[in-house]
Amino acid sequence: MAESAQATQKRQWGMVIDLDKCIGCQACVVACQSENNIPVNEEAHFNQRRAIQWIHIQRYWEGEWPHVKARFIPVLCQHCDNAPCEPVCPVYATYHNTEGLNVQVYNRCVGTRFCANNCPYVVRFFNFWEPAYPNSLKNQLNPDVTVRSRGIMEKCTFCVQRISRVRRQAKNDGTPIADGDRALNPACVNACPTDTLVFGDLEDPNSRVSKLRDKELVEGGRGYHLYEHLGTSPNVIYLKKVDKHAVEEPAHA
Amino acid sequence: MLQGDFQPKKPTRKQLIKLSIFGLIGLVPLTALVFFFMFLFSAWLGKPMAVFGYDEGPTQPIAFPHTRHVQELGLDCTFCHRNVTKGAAATIPPVGLCMTCHKVVGEGLPEVEKLQAIYDSGKPIDWVRVHRVPDHVHFNHQAHILFFSQRDAIAPSQVCATCHGDVGGMVKVKQARYLKMADCVNCHRDNGAPTDCVTCHY
Amino acid sequence: MKLTRRQFLGLVGGGGAAAVIFQACGVPEAELFVESTNQIPEDLVSGLDNWYATLCRQCPSTEGIVVRVMEGRAKKVEGNVDFPVNQGKHSARCEAGLQALYHPDRIAGPLVRTGERGGGQWEEVSWPDALGRLAQQLRGLRDPAALVMVTSPENSYSGLVADRFVTRFGGQRLRYETLESTNVRRAVKLVYGQDRMPDFDIENSAYILSFGADFLNTWGSPVRHARGYGQFRQGDRERGTHVHVDSRFSMTGASADEIFFVKPGREGLLALSIASVIIEDGMGNTAAADALTDGGRIDMGRFAPDRVADAVGVSADRIHSLAHEFAEHRPGIAIGGGSAAAHTNGLFNMIAIYSLNHLVNAVGVPGGVMFNPQPPIRDLPAVSTVSSFADWQKLAGQMRNGGVGVLMVRDADPMYGLPGATGFRDASFNVPVIVSFSNRMDDTTALADIVLPEHSYLEDWDIAVPDHGPGYQTVGFQQPVIRPFFESRGAHLGTRSFADAIMTLAADLGLDLGLPATFAEMLQDGAAQLHGEGRGSVTATDFRAFWNGALQRGGWWDANARSAEAAVRPPALPAQEEAPQFDGSGTFHLIPFASASLMDGRGASLPWLQATPDPISSATWRTWVEINAKVAEEMDIREGDLVRIVSSFGNPDASSAEGIEALAYPHPGVPPDVVCVPLGQGHRGGTRYEKGRGSNIMSILAPRADTQTGALAWAATRVSIQKTGGWVRLPKFENTVPDFPRDEEQEVIKITPTDT
Repeated sequence: MAESAQATQKRQWGMVIDLDKCIGCQACVVACQSENNIPVNEEAHFNQRRAIQWIHIQRYWEGEWPHVKARFIPVLCQHCDNAPCEPVCPVYATYHNTEGLNVQVYNRCVGTRFCANNCPYVVRFFNFWEPAYPNSLKNQLNPDVTVRSRGIMEKCTFCVQRISRVRRQAKNDGTPIADGDRALNPACVNACPTDTLVFGDLEDPNSRVSKLRDKELVEGGRGYHLYEHLGTSPNVIYLKKVDKHAVEEPAHA
Repeated sequence: MLQGDFQPKKPTRKQLIKLSIFGLIGLVPLTALVFFFMFLFSAWLGKPMAVFGYDEGPTQPIAFPHTRHVQELGLDCTFCHRNVTKGAAATIPPVGLCMTCHKVVGEGLPEVEKLQAIYDSGKPIDWVRVHRVPDHVHFNHQAHILFFSQRDAIAPSQVCATCHGDVGGMVKVKQARYLKMADCVNCHRDNGAPTDCVTCHY
Repeated sequence: MKLTRRQFLGLVGGGGAAAVIFQACGVPEAELFVESTNQIPEDLVSGLDNWYATLCRQCPSTEGIVVRVMEGRAKKVEGNVDFPVNQGKHSARCEAGLQALYHPDRIAGPLVRTGERGGGQWEEVSWPDALGRLAQQLRGLRDPAALVMVTSPENSYSGLVADRFVTRFGGQRLRYETLESTNVRRAVKLVYGQDRMPDFDIENSAYILSFGADFLNTWGSPVRHARGYGQFRQGDRERGTHVHVDSRFSMTGASADEIFFVKPGREGLLALSIASVIIEDGMGNTAAADALTDGGRIDMGRFAPDRVADAVGVSADRIHSLAHEFAEHRPGIAIGGGSAAAHTNGLFNMIAIYSLNHLVNAVGVPGGVMFNPQPPIRDLPAVSTVSSFADWQKLAGQMRNGGVGVLMVRDADPMYGLPGATGFRDASFNVPVIVSFSNRMDDTTALADIVLPEHSYLEDWDIAVPDHGPGYQTVGFQQPVIRPFFESRGAHLGTRSFADAIMTLAADLGLDLGLPATFAEMLQDGAAQLHGEGRGSVTATDFRAFWNGALQRGGWWDANARSAEAAVRPPALPAQEEAPQFDGSGTFHLIPFASASLMDGRGASLPWLQATPDPISSATWRTWVEINAKVAEEMDIREGDLVRIVSSFGNPDASSAEGIEALAYPHPGVPPDVVCVPLGQGHRGGTRYEKGRGSNIMSILAPRADTQTGALAWAATRVSIQKTGGWVRLPKFENTVPDFPRDEEQEVIKITPTDT
């Protein structure tokens, strides 16, 4: 029965980010804000270093004028298989699910912020304020996503509401979940104008992400994990930026 | 009487007055505490306690008798709650749907007249919510209805009673199950549904 | 009995705690109700989403989008996969259209000024009343030419209605663009003989040589360019090479393989030098070389790398090798625009740059410059012309002399974006009636007498031709995805479609526009013409099916209908260099740039865009000035120092003549003699999100224009930088994430010299 096959099929959601394509345009950032009801980051939030961006673009300088370069890297929750944020949660509000997602359960969270401190990627954000929207802007809020209240950690979910919706749809229709389905892709992936971000099931050998992983990471190409040495085994794979002028691996930051 | 034995001393009148005043003042926090725990319990069990008069179900702006419509007329649940097999919410029908019959049927009944007046005014009806899942939960009617109706080969409308009780037999609709997380998880476990947090909490 | 202070506090505290607990446990009252609406459409399933295809009109690039609608509310914008311009992709700006729709400060009905002009006192009137007042004013005009209509440059049916109205009335129409593209458009006309902007086929290109144009971020059709760029980088073909030439460090420059900093305004000279090497070494198309040099009569030797290297600021060897690289990697494209086109020699620069494409056979071929054919709809104004700075100066003069009786402004904010030195804002006080169609209180609307708020584009109909098309005939259909937000206010209040309002006005004035009676019929008429073509993406036997099909797909296009005129004989190159001229006494060249999110200020009212970090500085919410890190150190300027940018120009009023204030952001990428300031902030009017925020760099620009086209030379101002002594923390995303890496041994961004 197709249905039970759906239910029992093992999945591992993952993402491949090709740094050679990223142009730093911030389309993913705003798409994420819109999809996930992230409160508007006011000026004071930036000043207090409390701005929330589940996916954000970091920019690193290299060299000085006139031989200067700036490099962009989109960073989001790496959904680590061995996540440092998980064991420190005293209330089991963050855990790893069977589909490779690092999940934040809002109603369990008591706001200790231990997880944010333990995350080396700095992709967990704390709601220091009650989210405030003018009434008319509330019309835009996505009903599929909880509006988080003050005192709660939040982070990238790989748009689990979309996964959930597509899974339900697939179950009703008796069809498999298609790789690269735009209804399944997280909002950032659909927005990315250069196709830097690719999302899919790492368990499915025919998905684009697992093909890219096999080619670039397993067989030794441009693939790498962010902070590999920490042993977090992330589900997000980065592909190295290509720079013909680079003599070797250049300096950082 | 032994030396050093405790000798109850009759309190003076002044002391009595003082103590009784303290006692009365003490009653206030005690009552508050009792109410607080009652509140806590009711919140915990997901069901307002009888003291609030909710046991019977809330009073609705129009006393809609499910008994009349379901038991006597034999209407199917999905006739009015048409969204239940299609979407997350079962949905309360629009007033317009009621009026397909009540333009003529039930003329003269006070509750039906109320309904007709509302329809003519073009305003919505604010029903009092009976079932409310806790915050941060995404419940989807469609998935549950389709699962049970397909597995047991029954009509979708026969599934409703699993959680809502025999609404057709209620004059005033009240909550039949606690619908708290334990309730959900038990049922999920029994039926082989995922018990991953992110199934409902996102 | 005495209640001690301690006891009292205890009781108060206890009571407070109880109140908090009760409050926290309670359910908000609204949650206790579940509403059953009076009437809903039969097919509406609440909780299910529908995606409607329409067009994004936030920027002139006109992307096709799909909007997720649930229960009559727009929830999310995504790119329309079918639409050929953006092919499913979108930008941050498209996304924020939702906030424009649900903006808390949207104008909800026609307004008439009651107090002084610009005083912000309004009275709400009904649509018939407001239109009646406007009609009365128009009837009272002695000279019909005293009607001036200012709109954005757009190829759409609403543009056509505006056009017809103005021509039939006998007035003047201007098309406003803040960072105007006059020079680029003129160069495209001269070099390629094209009336429309061409498409740059980045996807199939092997080499891109871009001059000044921030084409991945704000210039032209950024989403389309970026989509192609992803394929250009890591597609099915060999990885392309991108070299960027600029006088500032832009996002596009950051993405390029190599960036060359030239002296401001010398981009054209560099292009000519590259051309001279290609011709000299016989690497280019000989026929094109012959034509470009006018049969050898133009001495290209004077542009030889060693003769121009000093003036350009790039070494002769590198110019030489660059020319070889460009000629050898085919197909390659040269793209010019941005600040390179915004000097007094802007047209010269553009002609030199775009002529390079002729030399490397990149005109009209895949991977090169593809021409956009005219759309198959009669009447649709497919030539997008932009009013040049000279036109605006002329208009300001007219306004000053009382030659303008009624100024109507739609989808443009000239009071904000025209340089202060034109005196446009002050001159507007001599105009008896200013009418704004904006639904937000922008700078122009704040000075208006009558405000006729138009629908958001998500509530309105239109048919538009994307200015930067995909290289074949493409027509976009815009449909309302939700019912007008203010519909519940009744027929005489709320917002209206611009075209409907103008057509009502025309009927009132007894003007025959020569168009169908209603805008709806007009659109159907346009669609019927497409239907009659019987080809392309949507074909159907009956019209209803065609109409529905086109609306579902978001438009009509025919990938086979490409431009026929492929063989263009290039005109001769300029015989000698035209040097840029600069105004102002300062030590720095001022290069303003369109903010990545706010563009020219149109996005400033949307909080998402305000909070979107700039790609380079990661700054938000403020106006900053980018200055070279070393120079800043010498001048003792740190990040966040409040500095004054002084040019000798500005409004006659004293405040801006003294320059504008901005927060310093020193970074290593700025050339030492340049400062860069983003546009977008410094609105005098505006909503809660932009009012009184930052400074407007346009206000201190020198009123310099291109010598040939009269286009504003917005990069031709020299300024000085003064410390004011103030310091404000620059709100930026950088540092929200602490400095990486935490481990010195591990790079965050790994780089490989070889592509696999």
